[in-house]
Amino acid sequence: MLLEASAVTKQFGGFRAVSDASISIDEGEIVGLIGPNGAGKSTMFNCLSGDLPPTSGRIVYDGRDVTRASPEAHARLGIGRTFQVPVTFEDMTILENVMVGAFLRHAGRNAAHAAAMDILEMTGLAPIRDRPARSLGTPGRKRLEIARVLATRPRLLLLDEALAGLNANEIASAIQLVRAIHARGITLIVVEHVMEVIMSLAQRVLVFNQGRVIASGAARDVVQDAEVIRAYLGQTQWIAAAPAAAVP
Amino acid sequence: MRNASRAAFGWLALAAGAIVYPLVLPGAFYIDVGTTLLLAAATAAAWNIIGGYAGQVSVGHAMFFGAGAYLPLLVYKLWQWPPIAGLPFGIVVSLVLAVLVGMPTFRLQGHYFSMATIAVAELIRLVVATAEPLGAAIGLQGPAVGRGVWDLTFRSGLPYYYLFLALLAMVLATSWWLQRSRLGFYLRSLRASERAARSLGVPVRRCKLLALMLSAAFTSAAGSLYAVKTGFVDPESGLGILVSVQMIIVAALGGAGTLFGPVLGALILIPLQTLTNTYFGGEGSGLTYILYGGAILLIARFEPGGLLDLVYRARGLFAKPAPSSEQSRHAA
Amino acid sequence: MILLQVIVGGLLLGAIYALFSSGLTLIWGMMNFINFAHGEFVMLGMYAAFVMVLWFHAGPLAFIPVAALALVAVGLLVYFGVIRSVMRGPMLAQILSTFGLALLLRYLAFWIFSANFVSLPPTALRGTLRIGGILIDVPQLVGGTTAAALTIAMHLFLTRTRAGSQLLAVAEDRAAAMLMGIRPDRMQALAWAIAAGSAGIAGALIAITYPFSPSIGEVFGLTAFVVVTFGGFGSVPGALIAGLLIGLIQALSAFYLGPIYKDIAVYALFIAVLWVRPQGLMGKA
Repeated sequence: MLLEASAVTKQFGGFRAVSDASISIDEGEIVGLIGPNGAGKSTMFNCLSGDLPPTSGRIVYDGRDVTRASPEAHARLGIGRTFQVPVTFEDMTILENVMVGAFLRHAGRNAAHAAAMDILEMTGLAPIRDRPARSLGTPGRKRLEIARVLATRPRLLLLDEALAGLNANEIASAIQLVRAIHARGITLIVVEHVMEVIMSLAQRVLVFNQGRVIASGAARDVVQDAEVIRAYLGQTQWIAAAPAAAVP
Repeated sequence: MRNASRAAFGWLALAAGAIVYPLVLPGAFYIDVGTTLLLAAATAAAWNIIGGYAGQVSVGHAMFFGAGAYLPLLVYKLWQWPPIAGLPFGIVVSLVLAVLVGMPTFRLQGHYFSMATIAVAELIRLVVATAEPLGAAIGLQGPAVGRGVWDLTFRSGLPYYYLFLALLAMVLATSWWLQRSRLGFYLRSLRASERAARSLGVPVRRCKLLALMLSAAFTSAAGSLYAVKTGFVDPESGLGILVSVQMIIVAALGGAGTLFGPVLGALILIPLQTLTNTYFGGEGSGLTYILYGGAILLIARFEPGGLLDLVYRARGLFAKPAPSSEQSRHAA
Repeated sequence: MILLQVIVGGLLLGAIYALFSSGLTLIWGMMNFINFAHGEFVMLGMYAAFVMVLWFHAGPLAFIPVAALALVAVGLLVYFGVIRSVMRGPMLAQILSTFGLALLLRYLAFWIFSANFVSLPPTALRGTLRIGGILIDVPQLVGGTTAAALTIAMHLFLTRTRAGSQLLAVAEDRAAAMLMGIRPDRMQALAWAIAAGSAGIAGALIAITYPFSPSIGEVFGLTAFVVVTFGGFGSVPGALIAGLLIGLIQALSAFYLGPIYKDIAVYALFIAVLWVRPQGLMGKA
């Protein structure tokens, strides 16, 4: 067991965004986190990455209680994340962005540079490494975020809608990248809106609705589940509109 | 690489120019202007470490300058030590102040830090202006006549010119090292987004505090040299708001967060200031402040990157077409 | 008895602090933006009153509204001329813009009105009242109660009217407000108009009683920071309570320690609050 969250609840005022959710992730898995908009996926995700401390519950990573650990402690322990709306360091070049990540494991500039170059080759950003991050469009930013967090050498990587707002070609190449990351032995939790994408990526999915985990299991079985269909029913517009809405 | 060597050449030329300047223009007036310029560049470069690279805008750096300026004259007043011996004490006081202001505010958004710096600086100015042991509103004085080599009282302004040049070189060398180091990368990343920086393991608070302490120490050292040179400090010249304002405007005019920005800002502002003081009758009229205020407002409104950014953009326009986001999207 | 008089005087001045601090807290809460020139807005309100009295021999009923309108104009000018574009820029530009504006306004006032302290000639509001054995200055009483009433009115406007709730909606969630058909730009302009206008009124109210000079804006600006920090960012009721509290603390420290300590006490308290409870005494954690 790499990560185990038990009975996690997150309350905002009177609103329970996540309610009594328990999930466990094994080393080497790709797990999909799906559910309609506002189902609590993102809140759960932020609890797992240390951005939001849960109101109650316990999160154990690699035998260590990380429930209230800071985001930077999560990164040090090997839990990396991306953001739903990519947040790149605009004034820095692509290479420098990735070096920020690489500095976590390499104190020296040269070592960090070499490690960043490796990652840039893998992610296909090497040819444009000297451009400022602000010159990138949404797909480029998403890729840069993944490159940056990979440079921190995570064991567990949380991807927050890494595919939203991409066109079919871009999705295909992003899926390839996710597979390549998995092939490096990195465990992945992928939050996604679009069912099709999850089906082709995740070995196991967890379905969120109204802050609870309502189903979990192999992707093919879960989509047959009556409750899941009900949760998504009437949400079809959301699903269809989601990629377009995510484009700023 | 070609860019790097060109930059190195530029810096060498600038250093050579600064070294021979007093030999070419040896008059006391020119040396005085040169010294003022170097002091302005050094303090702005020190401010730049926290305000520019880390993006934490201090509007009360006068507290560090003032601590640096008061301590030398205080050790002279109390124990008749050579004033320069107060420099390390000034740095210690400044570091304590940096921790006092930074520790609570760096947990929060940037505005808190700005507010706290101005409040603490004002508090210190008010307290000093009423504290008899610190000379109250009248201020403190150094030895009237040099008692030995360590009082650093020279007949010409030339030694101080080179002392300030050495200080500027030290601040710039530190900034250069910072730019390339892990801390420098971390500061620039947290300036862009603290949340993203933390997600990559950047200890945001510690980095900001380190940057502030570094910045405070250099600012304090500049204040000490200034006080030893003039042999006098009062609440206005050591702790007044103009002291903080000048650091900000020099750095922001040239380009905050760049190595050359503060130097460029000083090269433009100090000669300009000398001219306006000569023609409009000095700082008493308040015209300097009006111009400063207007300039800061205009920079913030139209050129937040400073003149250096403007130069880069202009050069980029003529040299090669800037990569459009369309191209990069394709490449990504 | 003297102590009671000091307390009442402090509370009446504190009510005016509350009024201009409400403007600052409104802008902060709504746009996450600190206006470093807010104290200068108060100062401009004082000089607007001064000019009206000097040139037109206006009474308080004329110069208070004129000060309000003049500052509303200044607020809108600043918003549309500067703030709207620097909001999109880096944090450095946001802080520097109003900081530069503060210097510009302060020293323009120096240039025009000189650094000397001035006070308004006695207006229709004059005399003292004896209530329960203590003496209260009529202008002070009118100023303080008007300010308190206006602060409460601002709170009611924000919570009870349509425009007010639209304004708060933008503060809460800009994107959601836009989906509801609210135009954030207009609401932000409205917030700047209210903030500057209330600063103008507060300035005119203080000017009736106290002498002033252009440098007083800096003191009021810092006082507003302290009030907002105490009361919690974005909270008008918080600003009201904190304003009264600061006025009281100032009056008491001036009474017990001497007049020069009234600002020192407030700034020292501010730093203490930053250390102990930086989100403000009444702010959310």
